[in-house]
Amino acid sequence: MADKNESFETKDFGWLVAMSLLFLALVAVCFWLEFRTEWGPYQRQFPQLLGHYGKGQEARDFRPGIQQIWIPKIGVTDRCITCHLGYEWSSVLPATITEPLKPHPTNDWMTKHEFAKFGCTPCHGGDGAATTVVGAPHGGRGWEDPMLSNALAEQNGLTMNEMIQMRCNFCHRHDAATPGMDEINLAKVLFKKKKCLLCHVVEARGGATGPELTYEGDRNPELLNFAHLTGEHTMFNWNVQHLTKASAVSPNTTMPDFNFKPEESRALTLMLMSWRRLTYPPEYIPDPEVAAAAMQPSPTSTATPTPGATPVAH
Amino acid sequence: MDRDRRKILRYIGKGSVLAAFLAQIGAAGRAFFPNVLYEPPSRFKLKKPDDYPDGYTLDEAHRLYVIRQKDAFHVISAICTHLGCNVQWRDTEFDCPCHGSRFRPDGTVISGPAPRPLDWFATTVSPDGYLDVDSASDVARNFRLVIGGKGKA
Amino acid sequence: MGGKIKAIWRKTSWAWSPESDRESSEAIVKNFWLHWFPAKVARASMDWNYSFWLGTASASLLLILTVTGVMLMFFYVPSTERAYGSIKDLQYAVSFGRILRNQHRWAAEGMVAVVYIHMARVFFTGAYRGDRAINWVVGVVLFLATLFLSFTGYLLPWDQLAFWAITVGTSIAKQAPFVGPTIQFLLLGGHEIGQQTLLRFYVLHVFFLPVFVWVLFAYHMWRVRKDGGLAAVERVRNARVMVPKATPKTKSYSLFGITPGTSVQVMSSTGLEESDQVFSSPNMSRRIALVFLVVFNLTLLAAILFNAPLEGLANPSVTPNPAKAPWYFVWLQELVASTTVRFGDFTVSGALLGGILLPGFLLGVLTLWPWLDRSPQRAEGRWLAPERKRQNATFAVATLAIIILIMVGVYLRGPYWRIYWPGQARPETPRLY
Repeated sequence: MADKNESFETKDFGWLVAMSLLFLALVAVCFWLEFRTEWGPYQRQFPQLLGHYGKGQEARDFRPGIQQIWIPKIGVTDRCITCHLGYEWSSVLPATITEPLKPHPTNDWMTKHEFAKFGCTPCHGGDGAATTVVGAPHGGRGWEDPMLSNALAEQNGLTMNEMIQMRCNFCHRHDAATPGMDEINLAKVLFKKKKCLLCHVVEARGGATGPELTYEGDRNPELLNFAHLTGEHTMFNWNVQHLTKASAVSPNTTMPDFNFKPEESRALTLMLMSWRRLTYPPEYIPDPEVAAAAMQPSPTSTATPTPGATPVAH
Repeated sequence: MDRDRRKILRYIGKGSVLAAFLAQIGAAGRAFFPNVLYEPPSRFKLKKPDDYPDGYTLDEAHRLYVIRQKDAFHVISAICTHLGCNVQWRDTEFDCPCHGSRFRPDGTVISGPAPRPLDWFATTVSPDGYLDVDSASDVARNFRLVIGGKGKA
Repeated sequence: MGGKIKAIWRKTSWAWSPESDRESSEAIVKNFWLHWFPAKVARASMDWNYSFWLGTASASLLLILTVTGVMLMFFYVPSTERAYGSIKDLQYAVSFGRILRNQHRWAAEGMVAVVYIHMARVFFTGAYRGDRAINWVVGVVLFLATLFLSFTGYLLPWDQLAFWAITVGTSIAKQAPFVGPTIQFLLLGGHEIGQQTLLRFYVLHVFFLPVFVWVLFAYHMWRVRKDGGLAAVERVRNARVMVPKATPKTKSYSLFGITPGTSVQVMSSTGLEESDQVFSSPNMSRRIALVFLVVFNLTLLAAILFNAPLEGLANPSVTPNPAKAPWYFVWLQELVASTTVRFGDFTVSGALLGGILLPGFLLGVLTLWPWLDRSPQRAEGRWLAPERKRQNATFAVATLAIIILIMVGVYLRGPYWRIYWPGQARPETPRLY
């Protein structure tokens, strides 16, 4: 009997041992992957940095692990701070520290937009849930809301500071003008001056000659016609060129060629793309009058569009 | 000779399967310890000091009482130290609806099963002027946050 | 110490230690783990080259999927608002969560493939004759259940890929004559994919279908035993009948001294000889362990190397371009996209012809094949028997056609469902900025 079984045992034995060892090896790899996190090195570096700048107690209190800002009422789960650990230490850490530990710059509006109330992604975009460098900016294939970066802003002829104003306008949409939001302020002036509401409906006001623009920022970029466009196939580029010379981008359009300057087109594009379906609770929406008061020497306080007025000649 | 070698290999094989299996159970167990918590932070901001009237004001969201005596503020936890129900301020004392614990206005126990007084939370004013409470703390009974000079109508 | 553990193990799992062949076969029956198997199993069924152990591989995948699936249930929230976030948490924040989800995903897609290949093996060896026909039908149902399990699981991440794959998939179901719209309405819990759909797919995926598959799997295994083991046994039996063997010199033959040479009993031998069989323990149980280890290692390796797909949050107002069904249904999508037939004003929808009638016909033929098969019994249990040349060719061509359609759908179809050859530039998908 023993010799009968022997043949199968001989055949299988080596494989069985090899597969057992491979099993153990693969499980070991899983553990290795689990503990070799991308954020690990930064979290080891950070307490040393705090200690170096005289925050020994805080350095000792630091607990390594995934950090997140969770704000359920605006749908924010931002784990960016797992690596960007210095974000709220601008009073201690110098701005010369390299990313990701570099502190977030502070300024007037940062004190009004606390991390605990806003998190990171409402202003910067990107995938807040991600804890990897690859995942964070883009979130994966089909991710439509990439993180704003210097490189991305530069591609569109803007600085990061200017580009981010698009996202400021998510909440500041109804301000006549807002301190620090020069791009959007310019766009709002142009919007009134060129009487866009004559042909476009925005928030249930305006004429129906052109398409409604209330949620222009939510348009699917694929539905735009890029055939007559020069340069990148992006919604931003399409809007810039369309605003400058509509007839060149959409040959059959009834929209006049406004011949905006490039910076004007870019400003208007930022505003159009900020008009999205968003559900921020009321306490996040600023009082337009507060912003108006802050803009005391206001450059714009006139010219509300009157429906039915004659179009501006071009 | 070959038998001995085979015996050793068999132990190695079985041993590695057992080790890998135990490691997997360990990994599964580890997964049940969350790395991120969907809980409010233990340190949070309340309203501005002037938004509170004199006396005991319940903050339901954070389960605590803000107590104002003119310019002096302190914050007492509304969580019963017995089994965690919310105590209620009844003009002269805190009463727990679950098992009848009673507490004095300063949170010390009058009677009932509660083993220790209600927690007092460390309270400061944030740079932008809100009450800033650290619910992970427990300060002495004589703690008062005194807001000097401002806010008086 | 080691001896003590061994003694405890024996005491809890064995009734006693075998001392003879008879005792060891009884021992197999009395052991909880081993009583699932017959005491002895034919050598021919043990052959790697006969069955490739694909059934065992399928069962291994089912076990892996059940265990990883139960683990995932602790982290997944079947709500349109939180499903996507819980998958992101698994991906990024739960310890070993990424590996767990990846292994579940790859094991699921692997199971669809392995179960089909298992079925192909049974077909090519003609192993569905006689009583085995019932088990063939059970197998077809198990295959469909596997597809449906995979399909219901596909929606759960609630990303664009999931949402639109299920939109396409359930729209195909709608085209079934008479009952189609009702089936779709019941599946979706409405006319559009929403919270109700997610909950329905979830409950189907984590409860009804797994229980159904496990019960049917148990029946499948029981039938394998009752039908006399793998059909490879029939090949051995046939060979035994054909080749007469020398008369054993026993008393029963020499008693009368008038029946020299062969006897009737020997010529018509239907049972397997002692030498054709081996004890199922340890031979078969060892090999099952080996197959399980191989399958587990492969799925774990895939989980380590490749991340399960996850796209942006499901958005009913933006269809990804192109939107594809899960790969095992992409061949149906191909058919649906290219079989709309028009006779003047009369249009036969491609979804009906390619999505329902053709696959329905294939499925019907597949189910009834044991009764359509007219090949001789000697073809049973043999790979690619010449007697079944035409049958095997038909099955191979149908399989190849499906594989080609899947390849075209998965690799060549680009935006607007146009063909893009490898190397041919695809139009760039417009971005926001």
